[in-house]
Amino acid sequence: MTYTALPALSRAQIDAIEQEVNAIRKSVMDTVGQADVDHIRKMIHICRASEITGRALLHFGFGPVSWVTGVLALANAKVLDNMEIGHNVMHGQYDWTGDPRLNSQTFKWDIACDEEQWRHSHNVNHHTHTNILGKDRDFGYSLLRLSSEQKWKPRHLLQPLANLILALGFQYGVGSHDLEVGRYKYGKVSKEAFKSKLDRFLQKCGRQWFKDYLFFPVLSLWNAPRVLVGNLCANLIRNLWTYVVIFCGHFTEGVALYRAEDCRNETRGDWYIRQLTGSSNLSGSRLFHIMTGHLSHQIEHHLFPDMPAHRYPEVAPQIQALCAKYGLRYNTGSLWKQYSTVLKRIFMHSLPSRAAPARA
Amino acid sequence: MNTASSISGEWHNAQRAWLRISRRLVHWLEQPLVSAMMRRSAVDDVLSALHPLLSLSEVRARVVSVKVETFDTKTLMLQPNSHWQGARSGQFVRVQVEIQGKRHERAYSLSSAEGTGTLAITVKRQGLVSQYLHDNVKPGAVLTISQASGTFTLPNEDQQPLPERILLLSAGSGITPVMAILRSLHAQHYMGDVVFVHMCSNESDLIFSAELKRLQGQMPRLTLATHFSQIHGRLEPSRLRAIVPDLEHRSTWMCGPGAWMDRMHDYWQTELPAAALHSERFGSPPRMMVAVGDPAEISCTTSGRTFTAAGGDTLLVQAERAGLAPKHGCRMGICASCQCVKASGSVQNLVTGEVSSAANETIRLCISAARSDVTLAL
Repeated sequence: MTYTALPALSRAQIDAIEQEVNAIRKSVMDTVGQADVDHIRKMIHICRASEITGRALLHFGFGPVSWVTGVLALANAKVLDNMEIGHNVMHGQYDWTGDPRLNSQTFKWDIACDEEQWRHSHNVNHHTHTNILGKDRDFGYSLLRLSSEQKWKPRHLLQPLANLILALGFQYGVGSHDLEVGRYKYGKVSKEAFKSKLDRFLQKCGRQWFKDYLFFPVLSLWNAPRVLVGNLCANLIRNLWTYVVIFCGHFTEGVALYRAEDCRNETRGDWYIRQLTGSSNLSGSRLFHIMTGHLSHQIEHHLFPDMPAHRYPEVAPQIQALCAKYGLRYNTGSLWKQYSTVLKRIFMHSLPSRAAPARA
Repeated sequence: MNTASSISGEWHNAQRAWLRISRRLVHWLEQPLVSAMMRRSAVDDVLSALHPLLSLSEVRARVVSVKVETFDTKTLMLQPNSHWQGARSGQFVRVQVEIQGKRHERAYSLSSAEGTGTLAITVKRQGLVSQYLHDNVKPGAVLTISQASGTFTLPNEDQQPLPERILLLSAGSGITPVMAILRSLHAQHYMGDVVFVHMCSNESDLIFSAELKRLQGQMPRLTLATHFSQIHGRLEPSRLRAIVPDLEHRSTWMCGPGAWMDRMHDYWQTELPAAALHSERFGSPPRMMVAVGDPAEISCTTSGRTFTAAGGDTLLVQAERAGLAPKHGCRMGICASCQCVKASGSVQNLVTGEVSSAANETIRLCISAARSDVTLAL
């Protein structure tokens, strides 16, 4: 993969794109109101009902059928909490309501990741430096080599295995991401800063383990093993699902990569183009979109991170039309198609690149 | 009789038990391990689903009845839940409503006297929230309100006796807390001399007119004087002096529009320095807007700092220049890290161009520029 050659756009065209995207944003944000709050509250109620049902089935049920349905219901709750609710609320998409339960700075979610650290690595770092190699730490999660521009190291040979382990324990990958272990090892992060972040991460992990692997199993007395394994499987399902969806956002074939020097003095129009070309979508049903937390609309999410996510399908056709007008690629496809290109990237770049990377 | 009082006695005990239980629950839900397993908001939602007045700590009140006072004023009679801690006459509550998904809060003086089980707020239809209360709130609706607060009250009887001569002075919707005080004086059989002076546009604009006439009959030492500005112009201090000759011997409770009260305050300060004057100001005075780039004073309540914002730079840059270090992230308005509550003042969103002057509004410092003096929770 090389730095993608973008269609040559004049400054006037980039400015025009900026105006058009701003207009699309305004047309939705002006209409944000009761229906949007009702939607997120409905998601929260479904999530809670699903969690209560799932845990009740695991606690009080006997036999495999109640166990499987319990695990699925609990996994459903965890996925909704992580994606449609947690990710979107913490992006500030509902701060305008003034409802303290929907405030991005105080929301708490059910994964082993400290909320403040996530907001820093995701909202501040990833969304500002999207797909800038060397600055966007989400690209490969400091673990995987995904492009030929990244330097190959012998450990990358093992990256298919690393990828599997990351997928299975994805919540811990997300949780430890802001620790910036690599930078700490190279002395770029002070010991105090690292220690305080590590403490918060471990504290959150501790609370999650207490809840899922000690409190609830013990509470169910003789059903403890069933509940313990059930909670483990529900977490696993959530990890795998969020891993697949998130990896399909920026690691598919055709996403643009940028160099830091090319992105200095970016206008908002430039920023929009980088967000658009650096992201990829997934196609599917309305239910599919909700279960991905509307990260299936990664392009729209990166253009409008603080727009209530369930409005992305509304603007998608307009963004597609904009791409067609200016010759930009609107990267979308089915889950299988997109994920297979991600896997291809992981395998391909576990080996050293054959030729020197061609510059665009 | 016995059964009724024993039922109400039991109900009273149940309410007190609930208060104890809910306080305990709130304490437990705040422990980190417990809150990891069960969110307080989840418990609150379950309680609300069981009964709209049930809450862990919020005061909820059911609208018992709505009374039309004048063509643009209504009184809502409210029955609060057990979290209500009572109010002194003259105090106000903040009423919270959700309009088009967004929460708004406004303070309304209680027009009911203290000690009555039912609360009354008298709302004049003039802004976003009052229009919503007029148009959408019917008997049976449940509102979330704050506990009572405010210092515009009669002196505490245990601490000092009531003054012998009282002047109640109000204008427009300022009659609401003053009416509560008058009702309270009536309820406690106050034997002193009360003069009630009220200014409004005309006769049809006089809120509580029927009740005031009735109280005149019931309170022999109550003198009522109404001043209609459409006929006699605004009530000036000189005119007030003519109506109430012994002004300097009276303790006065005053409530009305800011500018009018300012004039009264000045008069009292110069002519009647020894006379006691209590007043209630509704909301903070509106700030003067400045042109782009003109200096504006930024007051930070948390740090206690004040600085001048000059030029058109964002509040984040201005605060950093002044030596503060507000939390920030992307510095381009997308990550919400720099968001901060603007208590009052006008700011312009430099991305959308929108100017907003709402009180207690959350703004993003990195894309907002001051367009008037601003108070921030920074």
